[in-house]
Amino acid sequence: MFENSDGGVRIELRELTKRYPGQTAPAVDAVSLDVPAGELVVFVGPSGCGKTTTMKMINRLIEPTSGEIRIGDEDVLRMRPDDLRRHVGYVIQQIGLFPHLTIAQNVGVVPKLLGWSKAKINDRVDELLGLVGLDAADFRSRYPRQLSGGQQQRVGVARALAADPPVMLMDEPFGATDPITREHLQNEFLRLQRELRKTIIFVTHDFEEAIKLGDRIAVLREGSHIAQYDRPARILSAPADDYVAGFIGTAGTLKRLALITVEEARTAGDGPEGTAGLPEVEATATLREALDAMVAHGTEEVAAVSGDVRHRLTYQDICQAINSESREVEPSGG
Amino acid sequence: MVADTLPVTGGVGDTGAPRRGRARVLFRHLGTPIAIAAALGVLYLWVHGLKLDSIERRTLNYTYMHDRVIEHFKLTLIASVIIVVIAIPLGVVVSRPRARWVSPVILGLSNLGQAIPSIGVLVLLTIKFGVGFKIAMIGLVAYGVLPVLRNTMVGIQQVDPALVEAARGMGMTRLQVLLSVELRLAVPVILAGLRTALVLTVGVATLATFVNAGGLGDMIVNGIKLSRHPVLITGGVLTCCIAFLVDWLGSLAEDVLRPRGLS
Ligand SMILES: Nc1ncnc2c1ncn2[C@@H]1O[C@H](COP(=O)(O)OP(=O)(O)OP(=O)(O)O)[C@@H](O)[C@H]1O
Ligand SMILES: [Mg+2]
Repeated sequence: MFENSDGGVRIELRELTKRYPGQTAPAVDAVSLDVPAGELVVFVGPSGCGKTTTMKMINRLIEPTSGEIRIGDEDVLRMRPDDLRRHVGYVIQQIGLFPHLTIAQNVGVVPKLLGWSKAKINDRVDELLGLVGLDAADFRSRYPRQLSGGQQQRVGVARALAADPPVMLMDEPFGATDPITREHLQNEFLRLQRELRKTIIFVTHDFEEAIKLGDRIAVLREGSHIAQYDRPARILSAPADDYVAGFIGTAGTLKRLALITVEEARTAGDGPEGTAGLPEVEATATLREALDAMVAHGTEEVAAVSGDVRHRLTYQDICQAINSESREVEPSGG
Repeated sequence: MVADTLPVTGGVGDTGAPRRGRARVLFRHLGTPIAIAAALGVLYLWVHGLKLDSIERRTLNYTYMHDRVIEHFKLTLIASVIIVVIAIPLGVVVSRPRARWVSPVILGLSNLGQAIPSIGVLVLLTIKFGVGFKIAMIGLVAYGVLPVLRNTMVGIQQVDPALVEAARGMGMTRLQVLLSVELRLAVPVILAGLRTALVLTVGVATLATFVNAGGLGDMIVNGIKLSRHPVLITGGVLTCCIAFLVDWLGSLAEDVLRPRGLS
């Protein structure tokens, strides 16, 4: 199923519509959208705009009223729903780990449904727990209630990845965690996705999360109408209309900070001189984190650290990076 | 809804400190059989010390009591099997989303059922169908089905819908979701209902004597009719002991069958 499952495959929605019985306006109204293979697309939009409904039609937990869905070259509406779902990873906000199964059994659910051998499932479980940063030896035989919220989220992601599906659907997967855990999970998830290159549809309320994780963002309004579908930087710098601009809020510039890494902002001249004693940030951190560090320590400089290499990053560097970034983007906007 | 049928055991806190918890569980499981043995011992010594007249001797002997106890067990056991076979599948059926409208009916009926005196039901059945083992069985089953049916339904309905969605979303078939998620998670509630029903059945089975179906009710009623207190008391104590024994077995089953990982 789904050719080319090394990495992701493309998802196409054509005129996808869902009308719940007894409702006049469709919850999802003729949505058409292409998600390129290996990209993470974030659906953002106000509550009730149809994000979940759109997503659940893709694995047919909700049957579309009309329209087409293709994953790779396959017509999803022609497949047997249970088969389809075994090949589409699914993470829900409530995590939904089975309390009566161990972590290993939870992660092994789909492989077991697919009839893998015990040994193969065991190996895969260990591999996946490692992948999401949990020590397999320690966690395998625990039960979900013996895990923290953040650890459960990781298991939820591992479980969705178990049979190596080319496509993942994630409905507010980090929604139920505190901000610090959430940021941590996002970072790890990004690292994972860079490696795995799945095709992912990711639903969130949180625009910051969308900017941070999305290769593209679809800003939705009532009825799942697409207000804008573009790369995060473009949405920030060239919102299509007032609705999108309103969604971004007034802090557009600040949010752009989260898009640029310290490494990208570094100016050629700044070497390791004078970095001793400065607060340190990782070179892969975002400018927002660098700015956080500056504010926290009351300085205007930080040391960007990447292994043994250090260099100085100043407040001016950050301002410059932000402004040049928007200059780069704006001329092509429209 | 659930709380009023859930017995106190197995509910709270035997997970906190595993070692102490286990000791406590063991202690709880030892307590009942010891108490039963003690009660039977005291009863034996007391009856042994009495000067029995010929009427009393006709019932207070090994063969007679053995037969009544066996009859009583038979009534209870067969009724239980029928109860399980009827109530659990029915509970599953009425827990399906499409049958949601039935659940208030079931809840109402099961509350009503507990309020109707069992002797009345037996009398009505007798007037209509006569006497015998079958009639007793119908009465017992009618009584026991409701708590098990209700708890099966409630037990499945209280399973977190997010779990069912997760299971469906991963590609489990409806049957797989029912068997390996919903029923598994409903086990503690179903067992609690079953335990209630069984203890109830042991008690109600004493009324089988009124439809000529034997059991320990014979001793109790004879004891009353002939004002032979030792007979009455022996019958009563034996019934109580069986009830406690059944309850004890129920608590064992709850601890053994409760899915690990549930708090
Ligand atoms: N099963 C259902 N039956 C009828 N209407 C529904 C059903 N599920 C959702 N809706 C309606 O469809 C619309 C879209 O719902 P949906 O759950 O997709 O929103 P959402 O964008 O995911 O919202 P949120 O951000 O709050 O999760 C809402 O108006 C909701 O009331
Ligand atoms: Mg939603």
